[in-house]
Amino acid sequence: MTKAVLHSAIAGILLMGGMVHAKQLSAELIMGNGRSWKGKLVGRDGDWIEFSTGTSAQPIRLGASTIKQLNFNVNVDSEKVMTMMNNRQFERVIISLSKVIDEYSEYSDIPSNLSKYNALLMELYYRTGKYEESLAISRKLAEDGRNRDRQAKARVYQILALIDSGKMDEATVLQAKYGWDKETSSDTAPEELYIKAKLLLLNKEYSKAMELVAKVIVFHSHSPDWIQLAEILSAEIYIELGLYDSADEVCRQIMVLYKNTPEFDQAKLLKVKIEKLRTEKKVAEDSASEEV
Amino acid sequence: MMRSFRLCRGLVLASLLLALFGAGTVFALDYSSMGISPLVQAAGTMLERGEYSEAIPALREVIVRTKELTTADGRETLQNARFQLGRAFFMIGKSAEGMIVLEEYLKDQPRTEERLALRLVAQGCLEAEKWDKAAEVSGRLLDMPGLSREDLLNASLLCGQARFRQEKWEECIQPLLYVAKKSKDEKLRNVSQIMAVRAQVEANQWNEIFGVVRSLYRTDAKYDITLNLTLMRAGKALFDAAGEKAVEEGKDDYLNALFLYRMVLPREVLLDQANLRLKALEEDLAKKTRAGVKELEREELQKEIDSVKESMTLLKGLQPYEDEVTFRIGQIYAEVKRYWEGFVLFDSLYQKNPSSEIGEAAVLQSILVLYDMGEVELAEGRILRYLDENPFGKYVRTLLLIMIRDNIIRGNLDKVGELKEFTRGLSAPTDDEELALSSDLHYMMGYGFFQKQEYQLAGEQFSEIIDEYPNSDSRSDSIYFRGMTSMLQADYRGAMLDFVLYQEEFKGGDHYASSMFREGVCLVGMGRVSEAEALFSKFIETYPENALVSEAYSMRGDIESAKDGRDDPKTLDVDEYDPHTLDRALADYRKAIDKHVSPEQASYAVFQAAKVYKIEFKWQDVIDLMNYYMDLLGEKADVAQAVFWIGQSQIELEMVDEAVSSYLDAIERFGEDEKQVGVDKIVLSLITIANKFLSNAERQDLAVKIDLQQSAAEDTSEVLNLRLRVAKAHLEGTEAAGALGAELFAEQQKLADTTPISLSLMCDAAVMAGDAEGMGRLYDYFMENFEESDLLWHAYRARMFQLMGKEDYNGVLEVIDEAQGLFGVEEYMGWAQISKADCLYKLSEYIEAEESYNMIFGVSEWRGDLYAEAMYGMARCRFAQQDIETAHAFFQRTYLLFKGYADGKWAAEGYLKAAECLSLLGRDADAAKTLDAMLEDTYVNTLPQADTAREMKKEYGGA
Repeated sequence: MTKAVLHSAIAGILLMGGMVHAKQLSAELIMGNGRSWKGKLVGRDGDWIEFSTGTSAQPIRLGASTIKQLNFNVNVDSEKVMTMMNNRQFERVIISLSKVIDEYSEYSDIPSNLSKYNALLMELYYRTGKYEESLAISRKLAEDGRNRDRQAKARVYQILALIDSGKMDEATVLQAKYGWDKETSSDTAPEELYIKAKLLLLNKEYSKAMELVAKVIVFHSHSPDWIQLAEILSAEIYIELGLYDSADEVCRQIMVLYKNTPEFDQAKLLKVKIEKLRTEKKVAEDSASEEV
Repeated sequence: MMRSFRLCRGLVLASLLLALFGAGTVFALDYSSMGISPLVQAAGTMLERGEYSEAIPALREVIVRTKELTTADGRETLQNARFQLGRAFFMIGKSAEGMIVLEEYLKDQPRTEERLALRLVAQGCLEAEKWDKAAEVSGRLLDMPGLSREDLLNASLLCGQARFRQEKWEECIQPLLYVAKKSKDEKLRNVSQIMAVRAQVEANQWNEIFGVVRSLYRTDAKYDITLNLTLMRAGKALFDAAGEKAVEEGKDDYLNALFLYRMVLPREVLLDQANLRLKALEEDLAKKTRAGVKELEREELQKEIDSVKESMTLLKGLQPYEDEVTFRIGQIYAEVKRYWEGFVLFDSLYQKNPSSEIGEAAVLQSILVLYDMGEVELAEGRILRYLDENPFGKYVRTLLLIMIRDNIIRGNLDKVGELKEFTRGLSAPTDDEELALSSDLHYMMGYGFFQKQEYQLAGEQFSEIIDEYPNSDSRSDSIYFRGMTSMLQADYRGAMLDFVLYQEEFKGGDHYASSMFREGVCLVGMGRVSEAEALFSKFIETYPENALVSEAYSMRGDIESAKDGRDDPKTLDVDEYDPHTLDRALADYRKAIDKHVSPEQASYAVFQAAKVYKIEFKWQDVIDLMNYYMDLLGEKADVAQAVFWIGQSQIELEMVDEAVSSYLDAIERFGEDEKQVGVDKIVLSLITIANKFLSNAERQDLAVKIDLQQSAAEDTSEVLNLRLRVAKAHLEGTEAAGALGAELFAEQQKLADTTPISLSLMCDAAVMAGDAEGMGRLYDYFMENFEESDLLWHAYRARMFQLMGKEDYNGVLEVIDEAQGLFGVEEYMGWAQISKADCLYKLSEYIEAEESYNMIFGVSEWRGDLYAEAMYGMARCRFAQQDIETAHAFFQRTYLLFKGYADGKWAAEGYLKAAECLSLLGRDADAAKTLDAMLEDTYVNTLPQADTAREMKKEYGGA
């Protein structure tokens, strides 16, 4: 979501200049019973994985389903990625990460330490409007219970991507499945409020949507993940409510607070839209008063 | 917040010492007898071993011996010894002494360790709280070329801290932010950022601060108590400053305050985090103590622990601030029009503690915000909930006032009335503020009822203020408006007392002139016309430019025109003939037109003047006046009414074609506007002209013209089309008009397109159809939209029949009273009187009923069927009272005098009842004779009653 989250997702996992073999991939293999080996993945034959520990002449063959997790030695230039993120070169980050992840695509059905990269990709796809790609990842991560935080985040992105790609019914079903269709309370999580607000906005229930998004802004102003998105959403809803001064003020604040962010750009565009709507409104009012 | 870096330099210093002094072993402490080289060597050895205290005498000795040397080597040895001595003092915690030595070093040459010396001195100055000196020295260090990254970092830290302590806010920010950015020590980074934020706050660098704060809030530094208190204090200062500025000017301050407030964390969170930090520090200290870590390092830790404890104590000593901060944030959001954010915060405060002071203040704010953004329904819901939850809450009166005022503004007067019940349950006001609010509440309620034309209820509210709140600000208004309510209820005496009271009590009051004028109106109402005339004259003289002066002229004109040639105002006591009353009336109307400030004032005077001209048969003057009026007011003129008058005048001038043409033109021009009720009058007048002045051929021509107008009218001109349909039907005759009414009623004609002429037909049709629901619906629409119409009596009639159908006789009597009050005893109002009498009869009020029937004979316009029915009614009243003889006489009169009316219906009934009376009187033979006469009477003997007569005759012994 925000830079901080994206950064933290990469933090500590990005290393310099490693090399990935086409067939033989360095990895740690963790089995269901807790045993683990370090070695190389030699290849795959359907459900069978060939793994070489380096201590025996022949690779061992293991059923893919018996492997609990694969930890690959993933090498990414963290500073470079950070710089690209700061410069909002999201497409470039997507390409870089995809390239890395593609090398392990043969083992994508097995839980691995690639999830964090996938989570990052999921966010980036969403932010760049590639909802189907984002959904493809979030659907998987949403079912992966190894990391509860990541799973929760994936569920959020899953619903957001569905909403933004117009799949309202599916989004509503998922909302109920994840238990986010209950009444909100003082401790409702910001993401839940945000999603509900988006759904209400699409249903043209503007006041209700605005109340929820306002709750994100005022009760979760310390939450870097959601505050910027919520601010932009609030500007959009204020526009729908015809409260152009309010929308304008939100945009102004976004532009002061969140320089060099996608929200800054969005706020700039919204300001243009507000001006246009104001002009249209004035023209309509003038012609109405002339008629009177 | 001061940070030390001395521990990290041990290795650097050790290597320097080795290089300068070389290594060696020292066995003797009598340095005075030692040669310089062994002395230097001994000092170096001790320094190398970390025996700083022991090295000090040796270094001093070196300095003493080399102080006077002038050779390069000698100077170098001297300076090195000074540096090492100064450093040694620092290492044993005697920084003050070390600084003295190092300062000497820094004044002299060569200074190969200048950077290190400067760092030590700056550090020493900081510890000694010599901020100016620390800033100067660290600044000197920063200015040195080629500083290493570490030097730069340390110099920035020292400089930043020193300038911070000097409160040179702008100057300390850059070095502190450098440390915050470059240091690898997280703790150091956080501390520097916190100091930088504080400096930015003090320097009002708002735009820069938010970036720093945002990054701070990604770390645990956000839990720093000092930081939070700084943000809160700065937020408050900005908020207060914004409140003193104009809206636009203060916007930035609000915004900045908002950002700062938003960052402030709750006290409990801060204390929890501080406790965790304290625990960690104490554990660290204990661990280091056990490990025998140097005292200096432990002292550092202890200082940090003390600092945390101090800030915790400070925080605990503060009143809980979260709610206040939340409230302020809400206020800021509301101020900058981020209404929903403001609402959510205020609402949360109220939900948290609805009965607390801040909770109550919050609910008020939340509701104001809802009104600001037009969420009226939600606002009213909240108000009603608050009234329910907190009936004795602090803001009950305020909120009721807000809701009443808003509903008055939006014209929802019914809702104002509904709120009256809440005002009844209020506790007695306890202070001046509550007294004022209570008074305002009654005033607004009164004003609401006044607007709703519920004058009695309005008057009660104004009376409450006058009687119970003598010091109220609303007293003067209340007296005036109570006067108005009385006047509008025709209680002219009561009204006049208030208007006079107002003039006595409030000589410079807003309503002084109006009160004088209204007093005149009341005098007219009370029949004290001469006094009224004098008062209007006084008013005109005193307030020649007042907004009511036009009406005063009109009122005086009305008085003059009603004099019928008597009563010269100059000689009020003499009732003499005066031929100039109408001239004066016309002059007044002309003045009224000239002085008008509203179209209504001008229109009233114009049409009143027209009536005077009519009396004098000055038809051309009427035409000229109407043309003048239309030119004067343009679109605001009641053009239809004016055209009607022109047409009437043209008829009188025998300009029938012109009149018809004017009318058709006006219908076409204004017919689509349903509010131009004058068009309906024109339509009816056109029909009258057609029936009275046009030949059959001309009437056919007129019908064709109406058809053409209908064809030319656009399909969307539905009001005009309907008017033309009605005109056409009336032109064809009463039957056709009735049929159209029935058709419109049956088809449920869209009421929005109807006007009085079509509505009146529909009302009659509803009565004919006996459709009670239809009668009620049409009555309601007619009343709501055309209350001033001359045809409104059709609506009253429909309503009367509706109530009669429900046997609500008291309701019927009320409606009739109202209708008769408006329309009197016009020809078309006979139905009201006969129904009133019937109703009283049904209520067994026989005497009053007979009286009502009898009154019908006093109105010659009602001669005919109604007379017959009235006579029969009177007879029935007597019959019901067992006054059989009189009853017989009245029944007899009915069939003798009115047999030709109502197709003999009442005569037939009269025969039967007369026979019955005779029988009751024991005169069966006479009864039979009466029945015989009936059966021979050609007016009635073919009616169904004849069969009854034959049956009765058998009973009375006839053949």
